[in-house]
Amino acid sequence: MTDTLAAPAFEKAEQLPDDVRAPLRDLILALADSKRVLGLRYSDRMLGSPTLEAGIAASSMAQDEWGHARLTYALLSDLGDEPRALEHERPAAEFRSIAALDAGLESWPAMIAAALLVDGALATQYAALLNSRYTPVHNRVQKLLDEEKFHFQYAAGWARRIAQVPELRGELARALERFLAPALAWLGRDDAPATQRLVEEGIVAAAPSALRARFLARVGPVLEDAGAAGSLGVSRDGDAWAYAGSIDWAGWNDATRRAGGGLDEETAARARGDKNRALLMD
Amino acid sequence: MKEPVYEVFARKSREEPLRHIGFINASDGDLARVYAWKTYDEQNWAEMCVVPRAAIIPLDPTESQFVTALPDEHEDEIVHSQGTGSYGGADVAVKEAR
Repeated sequence: MTDTLAAPAFEKAEQLPDDVRAPLRDLILALADSKRVLGLRYSDRMLGSPTLEAGIAASSMAQDEWGHARLTYALLSDLGDEPRALEHERPAAEFRSIAALDAGLESWPAMIAAALLVDGALATQYAALLNSRYTPVHNRVQKLLDEEKFHFQYAAGWARRIAQVPELRGELARALERFLAPALAWLGRDDAPATQRLVEEGIVAAAPSALRARFLARVGPVLEDAGAAGSLGVSRDGDAWAYAGSIDWAGWNDATRRAGGGLDEETAARARGDKNRALLMD
Repeated sequence: MKEPVYEVFARKSREEPLRHIGFINASDGDLARVYAWKTYDEQNWAEMCVVPRAAIIPLDPTESQFVTALPDEHEDEIVHSQGTGSYGGADVAVKEAR
């Protein structure tokens, strides 16, 4: 691995090694698309939340996610993309949002499980960019991570609270199960050459398995408090946390971080803002 | 499940005193922090805190905005004051002595 303390920063994408530019673009696009769709899914739960405060917070989190998406799309201009086209002109099949969000969040427990596990996995990946040698990323991540601390507290607080309600505990456990394996998988494969290059060049701080360990260390205590860790195969392993399940990599595409399927056209139309296209400002 | 009330205090700079800006209901302190931040984020606060309303001991519970319910047996403990008083920087009218 490159000694990132001694190695010079990459101020612009053109300074990056040729074989790093495409993997970096893939990572940024997967993050941006996932944030955009996550914000949409949150927004569907803004009304009808259990308490007024929970709804206000969900609304604010939805806006945060769209802010994070926009900030992340903007990074792609340095990599040769036109962010506006990426945001507003792509067909559904080209979206690279995490597959776990292809379907909506049909209940409050599902909203909380997604906030804990999907947003948690995305935040773990962003945190691995905090000290990136690629300066444009490095400069933008801190504020995003500060906001994500609140998202995590929100998800953790609600997961613990729902778990205290006997009639909702099972639904929460099923929602957590729905999102855990996809969230772990989304962090990627250690043996993907492109991912290895990002780590070697100090663009990303750690390999996918190390990010999975960080993610589990963050969510493990919450899953335990919610009484769901055991059934999910998540357990303490000394100071760390382990996942006993296996990740199914069949059909996995390292670039899109998906194994087939895709976002539906209706959701993509909302993500693109089709209805307000005529009002788009430069 | 009954949610306790948390009072929200904030200031815009280190030089300012904390002032009371509102309240939220939350099931615990962690959610209270999130709700306070997300509900009162229209200003660029330098510091924000939440305090369980139950932890605040007003001198005059009959007039205090920080009392949800006043148990009758505490009537003897009430200290009635005159004029205006300050609650964390915000001026609040206080009942005249009787």
